[in-house]
Amino acid sequence: MTTLTVTINGRSYGPTEVRDELTMNDYLREYLGLTGTKFGCGAAQCLSCAVIVDNPDGSSYTSPTCIVPATSFNGKSIRTVEGHAKNGELTVLQKAFIEHFAFQCGYCTAGFLNEGQVLLDRLARKRVPRADLEKTIAEALDGHLCRCTGYAKYHEAVRDVILADPQRYLL
Amino acid sequence: MKSEPRTKTTVLTFTALLATLISIHAASGAAADMLATPESFAAIADTAARSAALFTEAGKVLTHPRCMNCHPAGDRPRQGDVQRLHQPPVARGEDGFGLPAMRCQICHQAANFEPAGVPGNPAWHLAPHEMGWEGKTLAQICEQIKDPARNGGRSLEDIVHHVGEDHLVGWAWAPGGDRTPAPGTQAQAGALLDAWVKTGAVCPN
Repeated sequence: MTTLTVTINGRSYGPTEVRDELTMNDYLREYLGLTGTKFGCGAAQCLSCAVIVDNPDGSSYTSPTCIVPATSFNGKSIRTVEGHAKNGELTVLQKAFIEHFAFQCGYCTAGFLNEGQVLLDRLARKRVPRADLEKTIAEALDGHLCRCTGYAKYHEAVRDVILADPQRYLL
Repeated sequence: MKSEPRTKTTVLTFTALLATLISIHAASGAAADMLATPESFAAIADTAARSAALFTEAGKVLTHPRCMNCHPAGDRPRQGDVQRLHQPPVARGEDGFGLPAMRCQICHQAANFEPAGVPGNPAWHLAPHEMGWEGKTLAQICEQIKDPARNGGRSLEDIVHHVGEDHLVGWAWAPGGDRTPAPGTQAQAGALLDAWVKTGAVCPN
């Protein structure tokens, strides 16, 4: 057993004694009821389980949760799909997903949303040339699997958000 | 007969080669999951042949999936005893620790996480591109290991230490799950390479 304290969507959880074998996915879904984070392949191959990990320096990255022990998140700050909208107001990226009909069954959406948001955060910190945008988006979303609508609509949604605010995201 | 001298030379060469091969076989007759000791190669009188035989034995480790999977020829590691391409798709990145969006340590923790079957070590990463062994013969790997430009700038002593004592390399002998451990022990592998260096670091043909 290990003591786990983790900040999720700005709220601190724990300290909680958890089994060392507990995955972060089970912790989120079974312990906390945060079922927006999905369990898909169970092998970090579809990334429907991905959450955002925020570093103290302001940078962030996504991490699968299905194969990663909950204890590895001790002391960290993460964001899940439940933490994007504020006071019922969807984020720009969430609205773009809807406008582009980016998802159908929605199982992969949380992962794509988190990955897209990390990309936006990254570009806001370090802009890229317009010429590199398509490649940048493709590489960012590359690991995520979608079996309904394909990938173009997610790609286009992220691209539209970036192109709508070029001074923020592009050189 | 004009061809007699050549025939005699051929016979002598063949006999010497056969004797060497018999010696090597006797010395390295350890099972595939074991390593022969450096002392067991003492029967090989020729120092160069003994050195090459020592490396050949150590090659059972170097060419094992536990080592080869992270010394790929390309930018994507392999995994499992069957050495399939890593899933999910990942790439080495600039420093061998993955791309910015998919660092090795995001999934590979400080130790194995058996519930998910994910191997772990604090230093989990790929060997640099120039140290790729995949698709090469043992002789080619040997020459590569001796070349500082293709061995991470290491001296031969550093190579002995890397194989014999490095913590990440040591994972290969305790990989957990259903992964087959590298042959012998890490100390035995280090001892073989140490003996190889001390006998001139001769590469097998």
